[in-house]
Amino acid sequence: MASKFRKFLYSLFTIFLAITAIFFVIRLSPGDPVEKILGPEASQVEITKYREQLGLNLSVGTQYLNYMKGFLTGDLGQSLFKKKSVVELLKTHLPPSIILAIVATMFSSILGVLFGVISAARKSSGFDFTFRFISLIALSFPIFSLAPILVLIFSIKLNLLPVSEWTSIAHGVLPCLTLIIPLSSVLSRVTRNKFLEEEHGPWVRVLTAKGLSDYAVIWRVAKVCLPSVFNVVAIQLSVVLAGTMITETIFDIPGIGSLLFEGIQNRDYPVVQGIIIYSTVIYMGVYFFIDIINEFIDPRIRS
Amino acid sequence: MSSLAANRKINTEMKIGAAICSVYLVWALGWFVYQYLIAGSITEPYYPSYDITQELLPLGGKYVLGTDIYGRSIFEVLSSGLIYSLVVALTVSLSCAAIGIVMGYFSVTAHSSIAVLLDLTINLIFVFPSILIAILIMSVSGQSFTGLVFALIITGWPGYARIARGETMRVMGLSYVEASKAIGVGKVRLFIKTVLPAILPLLLIHIVLGISGVIISESSLGFLGLGGSEYSWGSMLAVAKTVLLEAPHMVVILSLAMAGLIIGLNLLGDGLRDYLDPQNKD
Repeated sequence: MASKFRKFLYSLFTIFLAITAIFFVIRLSPGDPVEKILGPEASQVEITKYREQLGLNLSVGTQYLNYMKGFLTGDLGQSLFKKKSVVELLKTHLPPSIILAIVATMFSSILGVLFGVISAARKSSGFDFTFRFISLIALSFPIFSLAPILVLIFSIKLNLLPVSEWTSIAHGVLPCLTLIIPLSSVLSRVTRNKFLEEEHGPWVRVLTAKGLSDYAVIWRVAKVCLPSVFNVVAIQLSVVLAGTMITETIFDIPGIGSLLFEGIQNRDYPVVQGIIIYSTVIYMGVYFFIDIINEFIDPRIRS
Repeated sequence: MSSLAANRKINTEMKIGAAICSVYLVWALGWFVYQYLIAGSITEPYYPSYDITQELLPLGGKYVLGTDIYGRSIFEVLSSGLIYSLVVALTVSLSCAAIGIVMGYFSVTAHSSIAVLLDLTINLIFVFPSILIAILIMSVSGQSFTGLVFALIITGWPGYARIARGETMRVMGLSYVEASKAIGVGKVRLFIKTVLPAILPLLLIHIVLGISGVIISESSLGFLGLGGSEYSWGSMLAVAKTVLLEAPHMVVILSLAMAGLIIGLNLLGDGLRDYLDPQNKD
């Protein structure tokens, strides 16, 4: 329990460091949001006035203190470009991204574990060979080349699915597929390797000796593969975030990824900070819970 | 160890991977020679020429792979992009590996406070989506080769540092390293003569697999409009995507070319892993 608490504190500390780092990095990088908002014709007086209005004339240290004060009360500031608070923007842009990420990770985990286990249980069979070949190919198409190809096949040639916008379930199929194909391939490879590694362990021999059926043994070995899969899911989470960013720009989804991309290009400091906070919290949270779940599944990790 | 060495067999994966990679290398070298020695010169290299009247021609005909929206031969543009990708990927991977190895070694041998600091830095870089760091750096440094390489190195080295750290810890406990320490071998010599040779094989696998990762990251940035060159495969794909209806062959050719290279590198990396490190499958 004490180690859990230490880990929790460490997570909080990392989140704090991440906020601090992004706050200073984005401010110290060249490019001025005020000049971008007012355009090139704005006079110096107007610029100074607007800076004061936004509180950007204060020293970076004071700005940082103010921001942290707001952060602790749940206020992430106002977007410099859109006349909305960052919390509001997050509220409208989060749902599509979260749905996309959850659906993609869930389907990928299920498919990945399923195919990985079958592939490993029938090592060197026709299925194993075919499947490894397919996953190798699937991993070789980066998201931004996979997406246009899927659009080409399913929307243009077969005319089955719509593209762009985010209005119905059918619109979500292609973006999800774009994320699922590479992620499930990675997870199936991890599962297969872990399964082959565990398969010959002494505890499996005991199970067989006790007279458990093949399926019961496979089921138990598959269960032990889950922690590795979850660890990779956690590592891949930042990849999924980056992936949704590209997927969202390709499919015109009004999610967090496109908001972030826009925010960085416009130097919309509060928006970028808000999204970084969101992604670090999710990242650290997932890491924290996955650790606990893993210990629950595989007692060997506990020690 | 002897049984381990006996298990080492050149496997099929390695052969196919090496074959695919050599095809791309020969292609890149051939284009390099053509660009700098045959069609152009060292001072004035040849670049694919524009011809608006010839835009979006299909496969076959005068241009083997057709033309893009500016009427450039897709084959020539693709070749320029290949050289660009390879140069970026090799520079970034090798630099990352070098930094990672030194940092990983340091974090084991140096004072523990440095190790903690290093660990925190590595974690912090891991927590941020790497594409975000890259976008930030690229928007600061502008779209240039140096900016791109710098951005990719910053996000890439912690991965190597983690592996190097784990490997160094394992090797430092081995008796022959302890023996070297006991006879008073200096820190630098210990690193170069005893530790480095032991950790290099595993890192080599990661370098090969890392190269394909860098190629993907580089093109991702190019796709988002933050690449260092107009010949980046990613930025070409971004253009090709806009003419998906008129010229679907552009997307298909670009994707296949990129996928081929990545398959080759991944096969070579996987094969190398089985060859050098048959125990570790993770």
